[in-house]
Amino acid sequence: MAVASAWHAGVLIVIVALLFPLFWVAVTSLRPANELYSTSPIPWPMSTENYRDALFRFPLRMMLLNTVIMAVGATVLQLAVAIGAAYAVVRFRPRWTGALLLLAGAAVFIPPQALIIPQFLAATHLGWRNSYLGLIVPQLAACGLPILLLREYLAAIPASLIEASIVDGARPAQTLRLVVLPLLRPALAAVSILVFINTWNEYLWPTLIAPQANRTTIQAGLQLLGNQEGPTSGALLAAAMITTLPVLAIYAFASRRITNAFLQSGIK
Amino acid sequence: MAGAGAAPGTAQSARDGRKGRGGRDGRVVTGIGTRSGPWAYSAPAILSLLAWVYVPMVATGVASLLDWNLTTPARFVGLANYRRLLADHDFYRALWQTGSYVIMMLPLATAVPLALAIALWLRPGRASRVYRALLFLPVVLAPAANAVSWQFILNPLQGVTNAVLVGVGLPGPGWLNDPSWAPLVIVAITTGKIVGLNTLLFSASLSAIDLSTIEVARIDGATSWEIVRYVVVPQLVRPVALLGLLCVLLAGQWIFTNVALVTQGGPDGSTDNAFYRIYTYAFTFFDTGTAAAAAVVITGGVAIGYAAVRLVTGRIRRAGAPAAG
Amino acid sequence: MRTGGGRFRLGLVAATVAAALGLTVTACGSSGEGVAAKDSGPIAIRFMSYNYGTPCCGAGTQQLIDEFEKANPNITIKPEAVAAADVLTKLRTETAAGSPPDVVQLGWSKAGEARSALPLVPVQDIPTAAEWKSGTDGIYPNILKAVSNSGTGKVDIMPFSISVPVLYYNADLFIKAGLDPARPPKTLAEVKAAATAITRTGKQGVYFGVADPGKSDYLTQSIMNSSGGGEVDGSGAVTVDSPRSIAGLNAIRDLVVGGQQPKVTATDAQAAFAGGNIGMMIFTTAAMSTFEKSAKGKFDLRTAAFPSFDGSAPRPTYSGAGLAVLGKDKGRQQAAWKFIQFLTSPQGFTILTKSIGYLPLRPAIVSDPAYLGDYFKQDKRLLPSLAQIGDVTPYTYFQGSRANQAVVVLQDEAVTPVILQGKDAAPVLTAAANKIRSLAR
Repeated sequence: MAVASAWHAGVLIVIVALLFPLFWVAVTSLRPANELYSTSPIPWPMSTENYRDALFRFPLRMMLLNTVIMAVGATVLQLAVAIGAAYAVVRFRPRWTGALLLLAGAAVFIPPQALIIPQFLAATHLGWRNSYLGLIVPQLAACGLPILLLREYLAAIPASLIEASIVDGARPAQTLRLVVLPLLRPALAAVSILVFINTWNEYLWPTLIAPQANRTTIQAGLQLLGNQEGPTSGALLAAAMITTLPVLAIYAFASRRITNAFLQSGIK
Repeated sequence: MAGAGAAPGTAQSARDGRKGRGGRDGRVVTGIGTRSGPWAYSAPAILSLLAWVYVPMVATGVASLLDWNLTTPARFVGLANYRRLLADHDFYRALWQTGSYVIMMLPLATAVPLALAIALWLRPGRASRVYRALLFLPVVLAPAANAVSWQFILNPLQGVTNAVLVGVGLPGPGWLNDPSWAPLVIVAITTGKIVGLNTLLFSASLSAIDLSTIEVARIDGATSWEIVRYVVVPQLVRPVALLGLLCVLLAGQWIFTNVALVTQGGPDGSTDNAFYRIYTYAFTFFDTGTAAAAAVVITGGVAIGYAAVRLVTGRIRRAGAPAAG
Repeated sequence: MRTGGGRFRLGLVAATVAAALGLTVTACGSSGEGVAAKDSGPIAIRFMSYNYGTPCCGAGTQQLIDEFEKANPNITIKPEAVAAADVLTKLRTETAAGSPPDVVQLGWSKAGEARSALPLVPVQDIPTAAEWKSGTDGIYPNILKAVSNSGTGKVDIMPFSISVPVLYYNADLFIKAGLDPARPPKTLAEVKAAATAITRTGKQGVYFGVADPGKSDYLTQSIMNSSGGGEVDGSGAVTVDSPRSIAGLNAIRDLVVGGQQPKVTATDAQAAFAGGNIGMMIFTTAAMSTFEKSAKGKFDLRTAAFPSFDGSAPRPTYSGAGLAVLGKDKGRQQAAWKFIQFLTSPQGFTILTKSIGYLPLRPAIVSDPAYLGDYFKQDKRLLPSLAQIGDVTPYTYFQGSRANQAVVVLQDEAVTPVILQGKDAAPVLTAAANKIRSLAR
């Protein structure tokens, strides 16, 4: 059908355009050094040299682990903090709700670069350089957005559900555990993914707080491949493919769940 | 952003809340009391924000009054940093360019993903799911690799883009080497991540659309285009406004990483922006005082921009509401 | 609505929240970095290097460390990788954090600012005069003189990787253009003529990598020096806007507007030269190994000396890095000196030259079969640069604690517009000079 093929064509054009750089990363990462700058879309002759460099001559696996720990840690921390705040506002409706939301909202819009020197000095003073604490805990600065999103979602839950549990004599903790958290699950999944992606892509903070190669994250660590004595772009691209693949695998495995999380979260 | 839309609802539920609480007070006295309860639950958030956002912001304010390079003792200089900053042509150019980045990013963060999300939503099925999954890929690709890949693709001397352009008889631009192209390239490099993510978010909003309104329109004989234009889009005004607002305020951040990785602000300062300026003052020039002064000025600017956008989107929302109903 | 199956346990959430708070409040002062120093017994020192841990040069660096540790069992080297462009940034943040590395591989273009802003321990002051003499005996005297601190006259940063700008050329493109690859151009006029011939074959002619993303000004200096000018005169005054300096940069502009040099950044040009699309590239010898890898099986890569401008002798300066010491106490400083001495020993340079392609700073080992004799018999591409290394011109620095900002101003606001847009050097250099002078105040 003409409409169907036009639809496929239209969507595909956009997708191909968006995926082209990734495609080029994949192709170039498979080229040998003397073919690196070839314009052929087929990586032939092919070489795994870049992958071997990235895996065995560079602490990539450690960086991948660090990145996962940082992203998971920051996500768990931010969500834990945000659930508390969102629940406090919805369950108790304190008079200072507006103030709390303003505190969270304004924090979203303060540029991280404006805070980075004091954050760096504070984390350094705490002895957190080159540590997971240093990578993770200061990410709490970004908890404003999850607070707003979760609070928004919770506010849409019929108040009667919470009230029913109060009338039943549930303590606030029980209401949170038995009523609110189950209702929040789709939103939690969606917000976790957002926070995870944001932290995963974080570049500036790890370069400052964890400068050591085996203590830093991928985004910061890949910079080490831009060496003065010979920028090893091939290894950099291979490293990027290696680190993108696990995320792809997770996505392929859980794509429906992730999409559904967004679909059900009603972030709207 | 979240607060404005919910304001009437909050008032409503606040009334309900008092009623509920009154009913409860008589019976249950266990657990966290109503007074300490909200504090206990929100304390982690409040402390986190104070410790990692507001105290550092105050510290930045103090640092803006110092002549300091982190390694040698600081000296109090009053407003000298602000005076120097406001006399610096580069700073104004960076501010101006931040604005033009925002304007360029806006359609890419709203219209394009919206159209894509609607297109995918109109034809649910396996193809749509696969497409949606593909859109997720650029979102997680390492920025450093994305940057290098683009440098390869756009190399004017032997990149694949110019090879194709010259092949079909068009002139090959200098891309990142040309001050008039470089900002556009930076925007393009940043686009992949934003379009992918926002398409997913819009898809989520679409799934919440009231299908009965579409049925009614269809029975009334509306075409697909009319349904999208007059039924679907009006119901999406809110998420579009939200993501648009986020984009306006965060575009500089998304751009920042790519400027740092690809152009370092050049050529000829053409890709510089406010956030990269702060970084340059702080970590290239180690002029902590000027960096802090720039941070204070820019944060103030963002606050004003935030207020202005809130005003405008509030108006749009009010204007959009009747159309949806 | 599902209400029962809440997988999130409150206990877990509460514990996390408590942990978050606990962390922010209690986890103070657990620094793992401050290794207590002792005057005797085993000692560990930190070595920050942009070669360490990279696919190109990591293995060679590790070999140096291993052999040093084998010879000095009391000293452990803790290497730390750093991106080349970030050395100064990391050094300053590490120093601000109170834990500077003991030895650092520091790019020469950053040495000016490092001297004024960081607590460097002058290398020459660590050993006794006799130890210094024996340790540096055999190193090119001119190099030692060139890297000396102009204020104290002492070597405060040890020469380590000295690279000089060199003319790389693609012999295949020379032949295609009807040029003799055995007779590479020696003067700028010859470079221009050769480039014109190459552009007629549809390839790019030449590229002077004056504006690189690392924002080092070694080639800017080399060009200005060679045309009789310079960035800074003997008294420290800024001379980038002197007529000879302007003429030097305008000689490059002449190639840009004449179509012999493409209007691209050094990053793009490096890729294009490696891809066989540029005939000649004037760039640091440090890029040798990368170019060799790209050219292997593709084209005949050769090198020639930096060309002369206007008939006078070429006066290139050097790039690369020195070894600076920031160790806080005597014990660490002594260990650092021992390590530096090893890195710059005949044995150290043999490893460095073979594995990374650094120029050996000891002329005697070049022909000595015990060290590099066999190596240079097989690969002669470093020889043209070695011939120039004996008389490189000292690196010059802008005055004051904003020296690095001054270099960035020069490179971004004067050199780059000339290279990328073919702007006249006179107005942009004059404007940059004024800005640099105001920074020094």
